[in-house]
Amino acid sequence: MSGSSFSSSLTLGVGAVLVCAVAVLWLSAIRSVIRAISLQGVALGAVAVLLGVHLHDPALIATAAVVIAVKGVAIPMLLRHVTGGQPLARETRPLVNVPASLVVSAALIFLAFARTRGIARFVGTTAGTLVPVGFATLLVGFFVLVARRRPIFQMIGLLLVDNGIALVAFLVTAGVPFLIELGVSLDVLLGVVVLGVLAVRLRTDFGDLDLDALQELHD
Amino acid sequence: MALVVLLLLPLLGAVVVAVGRARPAAAWVAVGTNCGALALGTVVAVREIQIGPMTGAWGVLRADALSAFMVVVIGAVASLASWLGVRMIAAELADGRSTPARATTYLVLVQAFVGNMLLAVLAANVGVLWVAIEATTIATTFLVGHRRTKGSLEASWKYIVICSVGIALAFLGTVLVYLATLHAGGHSAGALDWTSLMAHASHFNPAVMRVAFALLVLGYGTKVGLAPMHSWLPDAHSQAPAPVSALMSGVLLTVAFYAILRFKAVTDVAVGPGYSRALLVAVSLLSLALAASLLLTQRDYKRMLAYHSIEHMGLIALGAAAGIPLAIAAVLLHILGHGLAKSVLFLTSGEIMAVEGTSRIDGIHGLLARRPALGGVFGVGLLALLGLPPFSLFTSELLMIRAEFQVGLGWAAAAAMVAMVVIFIAVAGHARHMLFGPGTAPPEAVLAGTDLAAVPAAAVARSSPLVTAPLIVGLVACGVIGVFAWPLTELLRAAAHVVAP
Amino acid sequence: MTGAWPASTVAATSLLQVVLVVVGGPLLVGLMRKVRCRLEGRVGPPIRQPLLDLRKLARRERIRPDQASWVFSLAPLVLVGTTLVVVAIAPLLTTDPAFGSYADLFAVVYLLLLGSVALALGALDSGTAFGGMGASRAMTIGAIAEPALLLAILALSIPAHSSDLPAIVTGSLAHPIWLATPQRLLALVAFVIVIVAESGRLPVDNPSTHLELTMIHEAMILEFAGSDLALVKLGESMRLTVMVALLADLFVPWGIATAPGPAQVAIGLVSIIGKVAVLGVVLAAFEVAVAKLRLFRVPELMAGAFVLAVLAVVSSLVTP
Repeated sequence: MSGSSFSSSLTLGVGAVLVCAVAVLWLSAIRSVIRAISLQGVALGAVAVLLGVHLHDPALIATAAVVIAVKGVAIPMLLRHVTGGQPLARETRPLVNVPASLVVSAALIFLAFARTRGIARFVGTTAGTLVPVGFATLLVGFFVLVARRRPIFQMIGLLLVDNGIALVAFLVTAGVPFLIELGVSLDVLLGVVVLGVLAVRLRTDFGDLDLDALQELHD
Repeated sequence: MALVVLLLLPLLGAVVVAVGRARPAAAWVAVGTNCGALALGTVVAVREIQIGPMTGAWGVLRADALSAFMVVVIGAVASLASWLGVRMIAAELADGRSTPARATTYLVLVQAFVGNMLLAVLAANVGVLWVAIEATTIATTFLVGHRRTKGSLEASWKYIVICSVGIALAFLGTVLVYLATLHAGGHSAGALDWTSLMAHASHFNPAVMRVAFALLVLGYGTKVGLAPMHSWLPDAHSQAPAPVSALMSGVLLTVAFYAILRFKAVTDVAVGPGYSRALLVAVSLLSLALAASLLLTQRDYKRMLAYHSIEHMGLIALGAAAGIPLAIAAVLLHILGHGLAKSVLFLTSGEIMAVEGTSRIDGIHGLLARRPALGGVFGVGLLALLGLPPFSLFTSELLMIRAEFQVGLGWAAAAAMVAMVVIFIAVAGHARHMLFGPGTAPPEAVLAGTDLAAVPAAAVARSSPLVTAPLIVGLVACGVIGVFAWPLTELLRAAAHVVAP
Repeated sequence: MTGAWPASTVAATSLLQVVLVVVGGPLLVGLMRKVRCRLEGRVGPPIRQPLLDLRKLARRERIRPDQASWVFSLAPLVLVGTTLVVVAIAPLLTTDPAFGSYADLFAVVYLLLLGSVALALGALDSGTAFGGMGASRAMTIGAIAEPALLLAILALSIPAHSSDLPAIVTGSLAHPIWLATPQRLLALVAFVIVIVAESGRLPVDNPSTHLELTMIHEAMILEFAGSDLALVKLGESMRLTVMVALLADLFVPWGIATAPGPAQVAIGLVSIIGKVAVLGVVLAAFEVAVAKLRLFRVPELMAGAFVLAVLAVVSSLVTP
């Protein structure tokens, strides 16, 4: 496809990934947050498809299919299953409230863009200039891990970190070899399954949960 | 071919256990497969020294000296741990503290855990290494939470969240290494193989490799338990059942360190040895300081052992920082010695907890008087871990310190020795409290505050020789290696040259 | 910017702009009210009703609280004054407004900010509980809305390499591809949210409520009466109109006069009236569809607009 339409659709896809990450901080209703994660998985797959078509790499398109299936469909289904008993649940007492988290995320986005320009320059391709967005998603994911109290949000933070790193991988090297990507996606899926089982157990053992209440083990 | 068989052995054990539903016979078959893995690993090591590296499974697996050595370590610790694991599962089933389904899950997951560790060290490809280590995290999470108490649930949640973050960072580091190798002319087909990385390393962009190595140390270092990414370790290792703690503390930490060692070899060619040295020294001194300060006030002996693992991982990192073949050989010897001694100690502490009913240090008095076999093994094991002769940890620590002085890191070695003295005092003090003293029962008030299932009546009997025998074998092996390293000298030398050519 | 227009043309178009907004502002408010009423199934007051209200209020006696000072009297004047300046210098009809090179985006945004701060100070100065409450709520919203507005327009200025509003408009006309980029979309969403917040419309504030729990803007103007109130209402309607017109001209610039001919200016006039009317109808329809946000969730919305504006800026900086 032509250069400028490729770069603008790539920017659109990559931007959608980051907007979904910010949406996770913005929305407090868990159902909407899961929808945002699902959309992010689809956007990630779309980026991989665009790159695959541009570089004439069928393995990348196969990877994109795996990514969409796992991150866009399977994992959100698992997350919905974990929170199934409380469809209207929301994070009502985050460690950092929503406006402050959004301002912090803006600062993190600037930080990512400022500090990773070196890598973008090194890669040199059109896709490479968008690498800071992947790092920004990674930092926002870290922040979600830290700033939210419910276990489901820690899982979502982990997924954001994973998606950010996957985006960096796609933009920088057109993804890792297909078999490895398959293994990685399988690992992520299994990880979410395990986390989901633990989260359900946490809810039944500890009640409706604030992770700060997990204070039994300390020195 | 041998490598594929090596990987299939634990898998076979898993299948047998799954089919046999945790009947003792099936469980012993699983133990047998682990011992078989140890034996086969030894054969592979011998062949490697004589012939050179072997590959298998169309180049996905590769065993050079370093991998073969790690296979031996994994096999040894896995045999010990699964042997005692059978007994633990049998005891739980007998008391009704567990169901056959959960026992089967436990045994299958342990086999999967061992299999993934073997895959990690035999992987020829950095990506496969990553997948295997992530798989070990997933396999062990349920193992940590096996006892279904609130404490173990909290520990397993912390474990999987923190380690998943670390592993994700390690993946980012791997991607950056892939970027560096593609730009240095590697073909994408085999670009992530160790051999290809080492071959092209001199053309890697240093700035990218610096960022990549920092991420890899941060990421895999989380699984090693280096400070400041260690906060999951005391909780996970103390809440897990004893055989799992033995496996995790004895060998999983060092398998993650194996990954760092491999990447260090690549980074040193690309960037020069100074960068990795500085990074590893910083991390190791931080871990040593943290372990020393927190060991003084420990009240739980399993947590004490866990913090002690952090100290040893710090020492290993310090040794690896030196980078010369002598240092790496010392590191590998330390890995073996620590693996044997720590697993024996965790297994013993599991037995102690089963018979005494408490995991608190002040809840146990006069162990040597009341249960001489257990107390003796525990005491000797602690002596081994604290680095006293004739055990191999003494030898390896001595060699490491010599190596540090050779490369000019004497000041770091001195700081490490100060920390080791503090730790010696702390651990010896706790051990004295537990081992010596009259054989009277501990005060009720202490027992009341513990978080345990009820102590089974059957456990008050003397520990069976079936339990103490393998523990004693492990300690004896540790001692023998300390005095005569001869079965391993060639292997250690070859393995050291893989990392520090 | 295009070559210098004759000063007489510039002066004439500026005057035309001012008259247009002064008269058209209340008409826009009336239009939006009419659309809302119709959608709710009522007939509603005629579109020119706000103008009639202004005339009625202007003839009434000015009543000031005893404890109010000169700030209270000055506030409506500052509000209307700053908005008039913005109207005069903004590129609404033409791309060469009065004081051409001073139509900088920073100047425009800060003039608008000055107006809202003046109103809040006047409300505070009235000494009543409602005034203080309304002022504090309005400033909470404004504290995040103003940076969001600034960043949203900044994102538009980056491709044009200039922070002059006329330059942004001419740049967009010359490169229509800029209008289809993701950063325009992000900036647009942020801009719309800020307009809704700054003009006190749903879902941020209900302009027809007088419940203590929900008032923001109405609480601030409760104490004004007579010609003061007329000025305040005029100022508010002018702010709404100029922001909607800026939205129209920055994001959909076709129709604006780029050459100093009477035909182009006439086309510009018609196009701006049309665009603002359409946008007003759309905004009013949107108001009917949404419920008012709970007060403590409004800062969340504004912070979201801020981050979208930040994303627009960084993606403008990064896009190859």
